[in-house]
Amino acid sequence: MTDAALSGGEAARAASIAPERGLRRRSRFRRRAFPYLLVAPAVVYLLMITLYPGVYAIYQSFFHVRFNSWTFVGFDNYRSLMGDREFWAALSNTFVIGSIALALQCALAMLLAFHAYRDPFVKGWRIVFLIPMLFMPSAVAFIWKLAFNDGRIVSDLLMRVGLIDANVSFLSSISLARMTLIVADVWQWTPFLFIIFVAGLQSQDEEIEEAARLDGASWAAIFWNISLPMMAPVVAIAVVLRGIDITTMFTNVYIMTQGTPGGATETISYFIYRLGFKTFNFGYASAASVLMLILTIIVAQTVVKRAFRSGRL
Amino acid sequence: MARIELSGIQKKWGAVWGVRDVNIDIADQEFVVFLGPSGCGKTTTMRMIAGLEEPSEGEIRMDGEVMNEVEPRDRDVAMVFQGYALYPNMTIYENIRFPLRMRGVPRAEQDRLVRRAAELVELGGYLDRKPAALSGGQRQRAALGRAIVRQPQVFLMDEPLSNLDAQLRQAMRVQIKHLQRQLKITTVYVTHDQIEAMTLADRIVVMQGGMIQQIGTPDQIYSDPANTFVAGFIGAPPMNLIEGAVSGGVFRASGIEVGGVAVSGDRPVTLGVRPEDCHVGQGEPHLRGAVYGVEPTGEATYLTLKAGEKLIEVKAMRAYRAALGITEAVAFDRARLYFFDVETGQRIG
Amino acid sequence: MAEVRRRRKRESRVLRYVVLGGWALFCLAPVLWFLSIGLRPRTEIITPQPIYLPTFSLDAWRMIWSDWPMGAYLRNSVLAIAGSVVISVSLAIPAAYSLSRYRYRFREDIGFYILSTRMMAPAIVAIPIFFLFRNMGLLDTIWALMLIYAAINLSLVTWIIRSYMLDIPPELEDAARTDGASDLRILWEIIIPACLPGIITAAVIAAIFAINEFLFTLLIASTSSAYTMSVALANFTGGSDGVIYNAIALVAFIAFVPVFLVVVAIQKHLSRGLTMGAVKG
Repeated sequence: MTDAALSGGEAARAASIAPERGLRRRSRFRRRAFPYLLVAPAVVYLLMITLYPGVYAIYQSFFHVRFNSWTFVGFDNYRSLMGDREFWAALSNTFVIGSIALALQCALAMLLAFHAYRDPFVKGWRIVFLIPMLFMPSAVAFIWKLAFNDGRIVSDLLMRVGLIDANVSFLSSISLARMTLIVADVWQWTPFLFIIFVAGLQSQDEEIEEAARLDGASWAAIFWNISLPMMAPVVAIAVVLRGIDITTMFTNVYIMTQGTPGGATETISYFIYRLGFKTFNFGYASAASVLMLILTIIVAQTVVKRAFRSGRL
Repeated sequence: MARIELSGIQKKWGAVWGVRDVNIDIADQEFVVFLGPSGCGKTTTMRMIAGLEEPSEGEIRMDGEVMNEVEPRDRDVAMVFQGYALYPNMTIYENIRFPLRMRGVPRAEQDRLVRRAAELVELGGYLDRKPAALSGGQRQRAALGRAIVRQPQVFLMDEPLSNLDAQLRQAMRVQIKHLQRQLKITTVYVTHDQIEAMTLADRIVVMQGGMIQQIGTPDQIYSDPANTFVAGFIGAPPMNLIEGAVSGGVFRASGIEVGGVAVSGDRPVTLGVRPEDCHVGQGEPHLRGAVYGVEPTGEATYLTLKAGEKLIEVKAMRAYRAALGITEAVAFDRARLYFFDVETGQRIG
Repeated sequence: MAEVRRRRKRESRVLRYVVLGGWALFCLAPVLWFLSIGLRPRTEIITPQPIYLPTFSLDAWRMIWSDWPMGAYLRNSVLAIAGSVVISVSLAIPAAYSLSRYRYRFREDIGFYILSTRMMAPAIVAIPIFFLFRNMGLLDTIWALMLIYAAINLSLVTWIIRSYMLDIPPELEDAARTDGASDLRILWEIIIPACLPGIITAAVIAAIFAINEFLFTLLIASTSSAYTMSVALANFTGGSDGVIYNAIALVAFIAFVPVFLVVVAIQKHLSRGLTMGAVKG
């Protein structure tokens, strides 16, 4: 270090770039309030679209709403809802379609991730796997609507391959109609789970894997006994996120089946939409919304809170 | 003038004590080193001086004024962090300029001061680079430059050298000491490396378990330790601490007998003696033990003797060699023996 | 023995490429086919026998610009997305800073609340939101879209940015504080530049979710003043066959291309973004 301008040290001190000591004693209160102030705008904004509509929906659910006239009906809407076959059907449909689609895309994504994560050659091509996810969901719905229903491409291909004899109408049977929704969802969202699983697999400790290989384990054995258990939290997060989105399935239903045949593909979101905006039975639809809200809160409190606490999120 | 006084400082988080009962007076321009193992409370204490933590109890004064409620930015202290904490998105010039900007120093003045600081730390040619483009040693100097640029009243340094390799560390130690003398700024330096403490400090504050074990000059700490912790922490290789008992002025432990000891009564006592104060085969032996290990280091040979269950280090001549297992006799320098109470560890003689 | 192992290795590699290749095919085939749908005359789409080798035609391209307000759809999408991203990022940054850096009594609860809004199904608040916007006279405006998109994405954006802020070493802030910077200055000059990749990732993902949004947009928009590309697809009907697929296909690709480019750019951060910071790629 040089001895340059040693005396400059004294001079600079005299020039007093030092602040007046103890100048700003920030009040205790302001210091405590600051983090709240930072987070307030976001929280207020969110309250406006959760609290206010929530309260509004609860309020409206106690009325029978016909255009601009509101008649108080107490719990009638809820009572009718409980006895409404279509309501329960919508819930069950959502559950059935959702769980099959989720299980399918999970298994597929896992299988693909297992094969893909070790291979550097595949890395460049992984972008291809992402493509289905990058289309607008409404576009994807139209793709499969055309392929299954309007354009009969799937039927045609199956016939050429020899799997079926005559053209199949995918809207004719319950399982077929549901299958079209499932295929559309799986096609579009398997990549979502895929990238997350790959990231999870790649983040595992290489040394552990190498030790296992030296111990004589096959790739499948390593995957099953080591990678998979280690990935459990990752899988959990991905499945929870995707699961929540699946239960709100609306776009596919709106575009592809509109609930046919006979309401077998009507999900709960579509049910609410139909009640509110096709039959304009707003009070009734609000009651359904409230029930759905309660269900969501229960799920959030149990499943999500556990994920939150475990520190993962 | 920058005197620092800590009185009755305590820091606890919930039920856990971080720092207890800290009282120190640091004189203006003094170089004080807080020394201790990780978790001993030294960094926490320094952060309280900086204002980054608030003491649970006690007062921090600078030049007589209580500083407890004052924000770090108003205390006129500069800090050098272990990880350097250089702002990654700014060039070195901008990094060093930052504190001046925050203080509202006029533009022209800023440039002059930045360049002067850069020169003092020998980074003049690197001003337009970003931290990522610098080596570890250069980054450390950049962090130093940022600290000195505004001529603060106090320097705080949190293990600034621990991320550097050994050779660089030694060179930087010399530079830091030189710089501090040049700039005449009160400095508080935190480290777990006792060599840094011994070579840099005007006074050392040894801490352990959140409490001060001893305050003194390096010489005092070395030659006059207050308890077994300090005795064992300073010095490499460390002081031998042997448990035994004193009875009628004679200290006995297995293989060891030392007469004429100035400790009264009959009691269990720990004897402390440094390896360099043990002499092989000279004069009346105090210790007899079997050779357990012989380690030539080039500059000397360290001999480990086993007496009873204990292993005792003795410093011998460079050329000394012995076969394992044979018995050796060692005499202690009677002027450099330390006695500590077995239970409390406090020094009694 | 070595021979067996080598064969096994080769077999497993073959299996790997079959599986991955099969899936790649399954991903690409519908896309390429749909592209061909967009580039053929309408008459060749819905036919008794599906046509696999159509004649090339730019009918659809001309159609979407002349028969429909494609320009408006595009404009609406872009504005609604840009506006909503600006809103949500501006609200999210201070919130993320507060959640990641400060310790205060209700932090866990506030954090959980913000996170939980991600779980909310659009259908739950669809009707009240509809009434709200109607009463405020905001139906069929881009403003309404911006507000709702920002609300939907706020949780996501906040959490992603928070995750990136947690990575910033606290030493940097300590240094800035002793250097004399105020909290806001630290946020602006130190924190934000340091977590810029996170902010960009969050913005990109929010934008994609905004482009994709269907339900709210369906309810809010009724004319070309507010129709976005996502919902406009449902408008392409007319004539005897109903849905005009070639137009739909082209619009789908118009939306696809920018999304594709931008996702390639943030590939590295994708898994972290999609899991809101939980899984770091």
